[in-house]
Amino acid sequence: MVQTVNTPFTRSFAEIRENRPLGGAFFRLSFDWGAEWAPAPGQFLTIRVTDGPVPLLRRPFAFSDYSRADRRASVIVKRRGTATDILYRRRPGETVDTIGPRGNRFPIPPDGRTAVLLAGGIGLGPLLYFTRELQGLGRNATLIFGCRSREELPLHGELESCNPVLCTDDGSVGFKGTVVECLEALPGLDPGKTVLYACGPTPMLRAVAAFAGGSGCPCWVSMEQVMGCAVGACMGCAIRVAGGAGYARVCQEGPIFASREVIWD
Amino acid sequence: MGLSSGGGRAPADLRVPIGRGLLSNPVGVASGTFGYGAEYAGLMDLGLLGAIFTKAVTREGRSGNAVPRLVETPAGLLNSIGLANQGVEAFVRDKVPYLSRLPCAVAANIAGSTESEYLHVTGRLEKDGRLWGYEINLSCPNVRSGCLAFGTEPRLVEKLTRKLRRETPKPLIIKLTPNVTDIGVLARAAEAGGADAVSCINTLVGMAVDVKTKRPVLPSVTGGLSGPAIRPVGVAMAYRAAQAVSIPVIGIGGIMSAEDALQYLLAGASAVQIGTGNFVDPAIPARVLEGIREFCRAEGMKSLREIHRWKAGWERDEG
Repeated sequence: MVQTVNTPFTRSFAEIRENRPLGGAFFRLSFDWGAEWAPAPGQFLTIRVTDGPVPLLRRPFAFSDYSRADRRASVIVKRRGTATDILYRRRPGETVDTIGPRGNRFPIPPDGRTAVLLAGGIGLGPLLYFTRELQGLGRNATLIFGCRSREELPLHGELESCNPVLCTDDGSVGFKGTVVECLEALPGLDPGKTVLYACGPTPMLRAVAAFAGGSGCPCWVSMEQVMGCAVGACMGCAIRVAGGAGYARVCQEGPIFASREVIWD
Repeated sequence: MGLSSGGGRAPADLRVPIGRGLLSNPVGVASGTFGYGAEYAGLMDLGLLGAIFTKAVTREGRSGNAVPRLVETPAGLLNSIGLANQGVEAFVRDKVPYLSRLPCAVAANIAGSTESEYLHVTGRLEKDGRLWGYEINLSCPNVRSGCLAFGTEPRLVEKLTRKLRRETPKPLIIKLTPNVTDIGVLARAAEAGGADAVSCINTLVGMAVDVKTKRPVLPSVTGGLSGPAIRPVGVAMAYRAAQAVSIPVIGIGGIMSAEDALQYLLAGASAVQIGTGNFVDPAIPARVLEGIREFCRAEGMKSLREIHRWKAGWERDEG
């Protein structure tokens, strides 16, 4: 059953501490973030990328890290258009207009179950954060990261602390194939003792959901949709879900959904 | 102290009478962009607002249109939400208790597919009695029946307004569509039916096509365009409506700043609503209010009503 979450959020003009290219088209934007609004893995914030009218809407980004000690948060962004290009050019010392944290978090797997986290391309950030959290809790977590080719791979430094399984469509690094094919080939995978978490392009999420449905493995997916208000007011970011009114808001009931609740059409 | 300094002068009276009601100031938030108020309570002081116009309420709940429902366009937002809401009984049960405690006027935005649906919802809220007034949505471009069909036909606008007028003595505002040849005709029809004000404009019909898939981006094919892209259209429509009627006009469309709002007011509107701007910057309503206050002070105005005096000067010369 899809549930509405009501975690507190705020608007803040956060000072940028670092804006670092990570290789591929990825960069990491780090900024100050007050401890009273600590973001959890899976949650997102919205950023107003420009004061002008183009691009108009705030853009949602999932948190890729948060350090309570430094009161610093970050997002990993992939350059893919006007808004992300503007963010790429922002410099330390400048401020970003943020609202967050918004939405629900990835649930911690029940005791005795292993987490397998599947990140495709832009889905890396939140699952990197979640992997670090789980490993910090002493939980067994395997991160699989997939992208098209070596050129798209973020710098190894960002990933290696999580000891990820890498896969590329062209086989230039790691396993040759999709993250789902990589998952199926994972040695010793026991769906009865695993929870899957996925973030990435919709076709990938659909494939993960199909695998989960077929194997009976619990699976959580981070959904993406164009957002209007991002505070639950406009009903614009709806996706189709089973039961209830037939729709759920990604910004309010999500962005994390059980894969079996999503209608994948 | 110099006469032009304005020092020590009482602040201008920003109140706006709408029928038997009174808005504490001219800055409202537009239906569909502000949920039911609570969604924005953590981001702004709702007590500063002149009015909240709620998400549209219909008789039965509606799940809304197919997804995706939004696409951004240059300085604009194209939407096809489809009046998603829980229906009037859930609205009265779940939303009105909170809304009626807010220190600002709250008008329920009411939509329907038939005349009897509009009458039912208005009657139900009137019986409940806790809200300040009603804004009748005769202008949603995203539902197949009703709404816009009413809103483009002057005879139907007048007839429906007259029937709604019998349901309530409270402020009754008719929200008009810009997707017509002459909005003045519709404003006059609303006035003739007994409306206390007209809101203009609702969204403009727009369409975006995905060149990769060769299909419309929105499954509903067309949607409603809002945002700064439509502001000049909104100002012109508010102007035409204000020329046509003597009841107040509430200007809506692309307001992002006090200057934008002042354009509407100088063109003939008596109040404004912030819509899509709330998504971008929830501080806009407060900034718009402050800017209007500052304008009145700088111009030595005792009351916001004086803002139409400039219009009287240039309107006579207009062809």
